[in-house]
Amino acid sequence: MTNLTRTNRQKKTEQKFDYQEALRDVARSMVRLKRPDRLLKLITRFIDRQFGLHHTSLLVHEPSKNRYVFVNSKGARRVPAGLLKFDSDHPLIRWFALPRRKTPFQEDYLLLTDIKKTLNKAHFRLAADSRASELVKVQKTMEVLRVELVIPGYFKNDLVGILMLGGKFSGRFFTSSEILFFQTLAHDCSMAIKTAEYNQSLLEQNRELENRLQEIEKLRHKEQRTYYEIIRSLAEEVEAKEPTVFGHVSQVEKLGMMTARELGIDLSGQHKDILSAALMLHDVGKIGVPDHILMKPGGLTPEEWEVMKSHVEKGAKILEPLSDFRKVKEIILSHHERFDGTGYPRGLKGEDILIEARIVSVVDSFHAIVSNRCYREGRSIDFALQELEHCAGTQFDPQVVEAFIRVIRREIAKGRIDVAALQH
Amino acid sequence: MKKKLLLVDDEVEICEFLKSFFEDRDYQVATAHSGVQAVEQVESFRPDVVLLDIQMPEMDGLSALREIKEKYPRVKVIMVTAVETQDRIEAAMRLGADNYITKPLSLEYLEKDVQEKIESLAGI
Repeated sequence: MTNLTRTNRQKKTEQKFDYQEALRDVARSMVRLKRPDRLLKLITRFIDRQFGLHHTSLLVHEPSKNRYVFVNSKGARRVPAGLLKFDSDHPLIRWFALPRRKTPFQEDYLLLTDIKKTLNKAHFRLAADSRASELVKVQKTMEVLRVELVIPGYFKNDLVGILMLGGKFSGRFFTSSEILFFQTLAHDCSMAIKTAEYNQSLLEQNRELENRLQEIEKLRHKEQRTYYEIIRSLAEEVEAKEPTVFGHVSQVEKLGMMTARELGIDLSGQHKDILSAALMLHDVGKIGVPDHILMKPGGLTPEEWEVMKSHVEKGAKILEPLSDFRKVKEIILSHHERFDGTGYPRGLKGEDILIEARIVSVVDSFHAIVSNRCYREGRSIDFALQELEHCAGTQFDPQVVEAFIRVIRREIAKGRIDVAALQH
Repeated sequence: MKKKLLLVDDEVEICEFLKSFFEDRDYQVATAHSGVQAVEQVESFRPDVVLLDIQMPEMDGLSALREIKEKYPRVKVIMVTAVETQDRIEAAMRLGADNYITKPLSLEYLEKDVQEKIESLAGI
């Protein structure tokens, strides 16, 4: 007998302890669970097991349809998931959702026994208050579903969900501490639901934003491509102006890329496109040099020479809008710099000159020497290579010259360079 | 005489819940869990109103509706649909369904609708 009492007492304290433990579990679950439906299931099951009730149901607000749907239910009188709803004008929903006026119920819950008591009070019935007839409808709903206790869950002022509980198997009444516990649960669930909703909408917004950014990026890329094509055709026009150097651009590009590879420069991804574009477009600024200077057979006057030199800045300016190729602009601006610092336009020296520009400089000069120009016949390849070696360290980066000569020798040996085509 | 209602849904839980709801309201209730069972029950139980789920295995709600209406045109049939089966409502109405109701449903509305169908029968 004593043992039995002790066990019962133990059970009682265990149960009380369990509430707090359960609350902590809920708090932990909320952090863990991104989808609140699992949390709600967990809570329904917990209440059903812990309190021994005829019926436990959870209703959740569906904002899109403005209705409250039975999502979880346990017990003998359980409502199959998704079968029933209360629309927002349902008396029970109105009772909790409308701005709460002064009612006999100070707390945010409804007990069937309280309702009965209140309705029996003459002054409540006689107070020609629509609230009384509403309460009768609420009572009816609770009786139909065999519900003894209704607990609303709010987030801020929104009714997010409703907890509906049937009576205890033991026939005992709910205690005030139990009701407080249910209220805490309902509040926590509401917060979890709202947080999940908010996260979901954030996710959707993010996705939308990402899509738009991608679209913009695509458009921008297309625009850049178009602009690049325009510049290429400009470069071809420059070539056409100097008929004897026809083919120059593609030759310079080919030899330049090979030299870069020989030097072991990183040509992955965009690096390759950048160097290729710089090699092809390096003289595009000549489009802004008057034909009588560009095609003058004799030597240039100092003034004419200044105009001629301006083609590097003009080229850089043309390339300015190509933000994807910002480096191309820098390379073109520097391709007439000299390794010893005596070049133009800025007199940069050594490693301060971009390696790509140093490559363009060597390849471009080589090509200029071997090509027929309007002012002279082209020289032999051997002569050109000697010239490059001679100017290594002053005009050119010696390492680039070395690599370039290795490339040319190898290509000639393999018969891959057409000397005649080079010289025109 | 008691009002007779046949509940047809492949989910037993749904039938049981609605059965006790309507029995509390003085209906005589039978249940069926497939289209074939539904037709059999209409023949043996002779309900006034059938609450018929549109989506079921083994003869779906539409086929059952066709058979019921062919044999017993006086029986009132209310179709129960889910959001994803709403495209079949039109077909159901053409086959002679007397109304439809969408899950999740409002108990108050359901009761009122069933009641109305029974009253309309009595009026004939």
